[in-house]
Amino acid sequence: MEASPYGIESKKLAMWLFIASDTVTFASLLFAYSYLRIGSPNWTPPFKFWPSVANGMVMTIILLTSSLTMLGGVRAAKAGDQKLCLRWMGYTMLLGVIFAVLHLREWFGMIHGGWRLFQNPLGGSVEVGAGFFCVTGLHLLHVISGVVALAVVALGFKRGWLKAGHVETTSLYWHFVDVVWMFVFPIVYLMNAQ
Amino acid sequence: MKVYVGIWVGLISIMLVEVFLTYQHLPPQSLLACLLALAFVEAGIGIAYFMHMKYENPKLLWTLVPITIFVLFMLDHIWPDAFRLARLSLH
Repeated sequence: MEASPYGIESKKLAMWLFIASDTVTFASLLFAYSYLRIGSPNWTPPFKFWPSVANGMVMTIILLTSSLTMLGGVRAAKAGDQKLCLRWMGYTMLLGVIFAVLHLREWFGMIHGGWRLFQNPLGGSVEVGAGFFCVTGLHLLHVISGVVALAVVALGFKRGWLKAGHVETTSLYWHFVDVVWMFVFPIVYLMNAQ
Repeated sequence: MKVYVGIWVGLISIMLVEVFLTYQHLPPQSLLACLLALAFVEAGIGIAYFMHMKYENPKLLWTLVPITIFVLFMLDHIWPDAFRLARLSLH
């Protein structure tokens, strides 16, 4: 068979192409969010350091740590240590779930404070809530999808119908979710700190 | 694994610098420029090391990155209209 011009497996190339397209999806959303922010002079920053920015910092550390545990899983999978790989993947999924719970707690706190998709309790632009829920909602959806994908791949790896290459390909998606958060946190949280 | 732990510490440090800068009362444009620059550094490190792009065939990088940057560049054409909207709202 002819060798891949990129020297990688097809599934890994497909994942990279998906990541490039998803980068543009997130970028479009962040550009739209920034467009609304610039075009709305009565924009009201909603986040105080406590609890929102502090919560965002904890969420960032959790997501970065999950990338580290995912790397441990990939290394163990490549070394053929199935048990260790599953343990690292389990830690990654757990951290993903904690991230999602913290994020949902943030959401419910804002909803309790009167924020809605088209409602601003501070009396300013209604697009503040719309932007926040859309951007963070899409990211949260990616995190939840990632946890489900990791669970499926871990199960397949345990039963032997998926290989170390599948674990590595799934890890690319997980790290991508982490990389996206590196833009969401400063643009959506820090630029809206009171 | 030692390298990755070092990178993890570095990325958390950059995040702490971002939070520190947020509360230094910088003009919004300067703060945004600083935060975006740091976010790009974080993303670059994440892609190079966590996603192993550094260890892949350079052809992969030269295929994916230019087309993605091109699309992001094209998206920049919305800003004049955003500033027009801001001026309209102020009058």
